[in-house]
Amino acid sequence: MYSADKTKKFAMAYIVDRCVDCKACMVACKAEWQIPDNDFRTHIDTGIAPAATERLSMHFLPHQCNHCDDAPCVTVCPTKASHKRADGVVDIDNRKCVGCRYCIPSCPYNARFFNNQLGVADKCTFCLPRIYDGLMPACVTTCPGRARVFGDINDPESEISKALKDAADNRYRVWTLRKDLGTEPNIYYIQK
Amino acid sequence: MEFQTGFHWYIAVYLFLAGVGAGSIVVASLADMYDRQKYLSFIKAASVIGMPLVSIGIFFLYIDLGQGMYKPWLLLLLFVNTTSAIMWGTLILTIFTILSLLYGAYNLGILDWFIKKAGFLKIFKPLAASGFMNWALIITGILTAGYTAVLLGVLKAIPFWHQTALPILFIISASSTGISGAMVVKELFFKEEAHLAKIETTHFYLIMLEILLLIGMLLIALQGVPEMKFSALALLTGEFAVEFWVFLVLLGLVVPAVVFAFVEAGKLHVSGGKLVFFELLVLAGGYFLRHLILHAGVYTQKFTDYIMIHY
Ligand code: SF4
Ligand code: SF4
Repeated sequence: MYSADKTKKFAMAYIVDRCVDCKACMVACKAEWQIPDNDFRTHIDTGIAPAATERLSMHFLPHQCNHCDDAPCVTVCPTKASHKRADGVVDIDNRKCVGCRYCIPSCPYNARFFNNQLGVADKCTFCLPRIYDGLMPACVTTCPGRARVFGDINDPESEISKALKDAADNRYRVWTLRKDLGTEPNIYYIQK
Repeated sequence: MEFQTGFHWYIAVYLFLAGVGAGSIVVASLADMYDRQKYLSFIKAASVIGMPLVSIGIFFLYIDLGQGMYKPWLLLLLFVNTTSAIMWGTLILTIFTILSLLYGAYNLGILDWFIKKAGFLKIFKPLAASGFMNWALIITGILTAGYTAVLLGVLKAIPFWHQTALPILFIISASSTGISGAMVVKELFFKEEAHLAKIETTHFYLIMLEILLLIGMLLIALQGVPEMKFSALALLTGEFAVEFWVFLVLLGLVVPAVVFAFVEAGKLHVSGGKLVFFELLVLAGGYFLRHLILHAGVYTQKFTDYIMIHY
């Protein structure tokens, strides 16, 4: 199903100052994937900037699976149900997942949850079927502020490549989460 | 703050039972090599709980699986990914369970009964009675007890678990609770007048070591990265503080340590019902140790403290 295109590497960026915490992405994702009641594949982290900063501010930071290049969830999955595809997407094969939940605490980003309806681990898949049908992931399509940018970072003409290049040219702040853990995440945060 | 949905109390029960089962067999095998006749009642008692407790533990793991119950063939897939600690554990537990089953059957005389029914089974007897068997059980038993901690320890996403001290703590606790479990069974079913002074002394020192290691781990955790400190504080002063101080520290460690210290000094003699009571306290402490370490890790605050690190 949707075999991986080796030439592509999918990634996402959040232009964080555009996020207004409307949670439309969370709802769109939930509807697209029929996620059980209390679970979500993507979240918005809301908080006061940590005490380490002088400037007190509130942040709205979206997060979800980072599709890590060196993903702990893939390393620890005994059945290889969790796997890294050639197109960069970290996917879970529900037919192989025994439901041991080991991958859930292994993820430093708290991106996974246990889908009680299916008895398997669950998380964001970058909307695999949609992107191979030429659509954008549901959260990207829905985001009213266009905070979410998605695409193939191997293609310089893709929206995400342009957004990252633009950020580099303008010296915007660009970061990934917990780089210190060496998981090589593929979700970029951009702040103008 | 968000909490995780993985790893419930079943897992704590599994870690605990696997520890008690493996610990009792390791101590029994050591005693067996040292002086089988003298420690026979202890060896028999350990044989009653060794393999069964590990199996019940695995059963708890099994009912926790989202799909294992409905699709048992998926269990074969537990062996496919060599980088997964679950794969190592499945292998170790399988070997340990088979060996301890044979050893237990031999010690309890069940093997002889089977040999009468089916003569060819006698080929297993020399193996079960051999020194090789004792060594194999000591090694796989320690690996089983250690694995229950390595399973948690390899997850660097949870710094409170990601410590080398954890397997050592679990192995010590497994030996200590293993002795307790076997002592309880011995008092209840194998009431021969046996002198187990060496085992009692060992038990006392194991509990002392456990206390020291726990203090060390917590002191280090308090100086650790934010998640680690959060976990330690959840135990010391936070949401798990009551369970930690009452069930683990006071009842599970300090009370038995003080009582066994008096026994060691020859100022006190406990046996029968009283001994069973204190051994049960050690067992309860062993359960709470796993339960609390599991929860302090799972219910930790994840990356939000670092989210704006480049801000
Ligand atoms: S973010 Fe978590 S679930 Fe996603 S690939 Fe990385 S470790 Fe796995
Ligand atoms: S819950 Fe499923 S995907 Fe996660 S580690 Fe276990 S088998 Fe792999």
